Amino acid sequence: MIDVSAFNDALGIMFTSVGSWGWIVPGLIVGLVFSAIPGISITMAMAIVLPMSLYMDFFSAIVFLTSVYTGAGFGGSVPAILMNIPGSPSSFATTFDGYAMSQKGEHNEALGYALFASTLCGIAGYVLLLLVIEPLADIVLRIGPVEMFAVAIWGMMLLGSLGSTYISRGLLAAALGILLGTVGMNTAGFTRGTLGLPVLLDGIAPIPAMIGLLAASQLLSLASRDYIIEAEGSREVSLRKILKGCWGTLKYPGVLLRGSIIGIIIGAVPGVGSSIGNLIAYAETKRTAKDSATFGKGNPKGVIAAESAVASGEGGSMATMLALGIPGGGATAILIAAFMMHNIVPGPSFIETQKPMVYAIILNNIVQAVVLLAVGIGFIYVASNIMKVRTRYVLPAILVIATLGTFAVTGEAAGPITLFVFALLGYALNRYQYPVSAVVVGILLGRMLETEFLRSYQLSGGNPLYILERPGAMAIFAVMFASLAMTAWGKRKQNRAEAAEALAMRQIQEETRAAHTTPSKG
Amino acid sequence: MRIGRHSYAIDYGHLALITFIAALVFWYLLDARSVSLSVNNLLLVQPVAIFALAMYLFIVPQCFHKLEAREAAKPTSENDPFAVSLSTDRADVIRMAALGVSLGLMVFLLDVIGFDIAIFLFAAAAMAICGERRPLHLLFFSLAVTLVTIYGFRALISYPMHTTLL
Repeated sequence: MIDVSAFNDALGIMFTSVGSWGWIVPGLIVGLVFSAIPGISITMAMAIVLPMSLYMDFFSAIVFLTSVYTGAGFGGSVPAILMNIPGSPSSFATTFDGYAMSQKGEHNEALGYALFASTLCGIAGYVLLLLVIEPLADIVLRIGPVEMFAVAIWGMMLLGSLGSTYISRGLLAAALGILLGTVGMNTAGFTRGTLGLPVLLDGIAPIPAMIGLLAASQLLSLASRDYIIEAEGSREVSLRKILKGCWGTLKYPGVLLRGSIIGIIIGAVPGVGSSIGNLIAYAETKRTAKDSATFGKGNPKGVIAAESAVASGEGGSMATMLALGIPGGGATAILIAAFMMHNIVPGPSFIETQKPMVYAIILNNIVQAVVLLAVGIGFIYVASNIMKVRTRYVLPAILVIATLGTFAVTGEAAGPITLFVFALLGYALNRYQYPVSAVVVGILLGRMLETEFLRSYQLSGGNPLYILERPGAMAIFAVMFASLAMTAWGKRKQNRAEAAEALAMRQIQEETRAAHTTPSKG
Repeated sequence: MRIGRHSYAIDYGHLALITFIAALVFWYLLDARSVSLSVNNLLLVQPVAIFALAMYLFIVPQCFHKLEAREAAKPTSENDPFAVSLSTDRADVIRMAALGVSLGLMVFLLDVIGFDIAIFLFAAAAMAICGERRPLHLLFFSLAVTLVTIYGFRALISYPMHTTLL
């Protein structure tokens, strides 16, 4: 299953690029810190640091950005456990039992469970990716323009339909993104939507647009808050208890395995991602557990299930990104942008011609998951203080860094101006519940979609029945409809699980309140 | 607004946003068609633009809420930790708008007054908008942001960065 020669070359890349390893710890810290601040998402963190990676060599840049991604996967669970506020949407299910454990004084153990589940399942996700990348490479080589177009459309449809409460708004956002991505000169030489500005001939600069949509727009909306979040006081941290929690994770191999499998599958589907994977893993673990009644009241299995799905989901989303060049969401869209900044296009040709590099990226992610264990424990000590940050200091600093970051990418004022325009657009879209990530992915894929569609049209001579001659394309359409049905089912299940959890949490809160208000007798 | 026996509240902000998007899409479609009617030009742009305009027509009714339904929907959104919870309070909206305007001013003035002065003024303005009133804090923190970012990025990037004082 593994191409041994490419694997050996990958080890060579790893050991000759030891300098790149130095980016693992800073990347993990950036990811941990940003995702531990509720209101600042993983994608926002990655968007802000993206321009910095422009001046690194390709491998170092990818190591740095994937480290941010790995760190952010666990970082969100710290405020989820300590404060009942998920640092990122992917840590939502962690609050159910994590905070309940925290209320019982078992926050150290809960953090230990979360950290070790993140580490183990992060490794599991990437080991699986290492095994499937070779067969995947054989399959993706048979992919032609029709198939690529089908896959890209599938990704956009899923992103649009699942990224928002309203499917219609998601689809409008995806369509807008695709159109914005086609501005400028297309492969046939036609120039559209440039307003006569030469700077738009190559299209809208995707990275400043991405930073504006994902980061700056969110930051503008934080202006009304004094603190990003009103945190509770810091809690006592005990290394011994955290390690006890880590060790305790091994008592639940079934929960780890189930969470990992769900996380990998859900993570590989564009537009779904870990924010849904953790809820489904939690709901499935609860449904099959003998002690399901104790879920929501501080059952460690709840924390492990949720965190294992989040961590393993990274491997799944990386598989889609590396093999097909289709980003599953905002974070992988930024990774694709980093590839593009180094003139590398992920997808079938990359996986075939650069297999050692693909293996090296996967191996490095496994190393990151191991390093996360040490960095994560150190991070827990300072985490409760990081979360209490005044916006008046954070906002100006991050907005200035984001603005200069876009200048670093374009080298002219067009970068910061693009950031500003898309920050306003992103703010307005967020306000009315449009999925901004669908616009971002549309901008990234718009040109590729048009090129592949044009090629398909030229190959088929305009005959739609040409699809019948492409069994691969038909298979992709079949998978597309199947996955659409599966994810729609998952969304329905998620809504039910959320409603049930919210009801259970409300009942627990009411019981607690009643116990406190009942006057003591005697 | 009353239509028949029902009273409706109109979400003017949402209506303005989608109308702006629809106008933008329509203009883009016309611009693309004015360049050439060749299939190689319109193959993707035209169907996607028409789809977006159809979505606009589908979303427009969502801007009109029945008043009773709106009241009934309130508690659920309060329970959802990931519901978009942008403040609609007048003072907060003014703060967000002021921050947006100051970001725009900084971006357009970078090349005019220099990166250093534009960043310093923006940092001070943003701090003031977010509630900082102590002059020394405003001065020193804005200065620190300016120095760190200007010298940091100058070391990082190879493009010339126009500055007036630094």
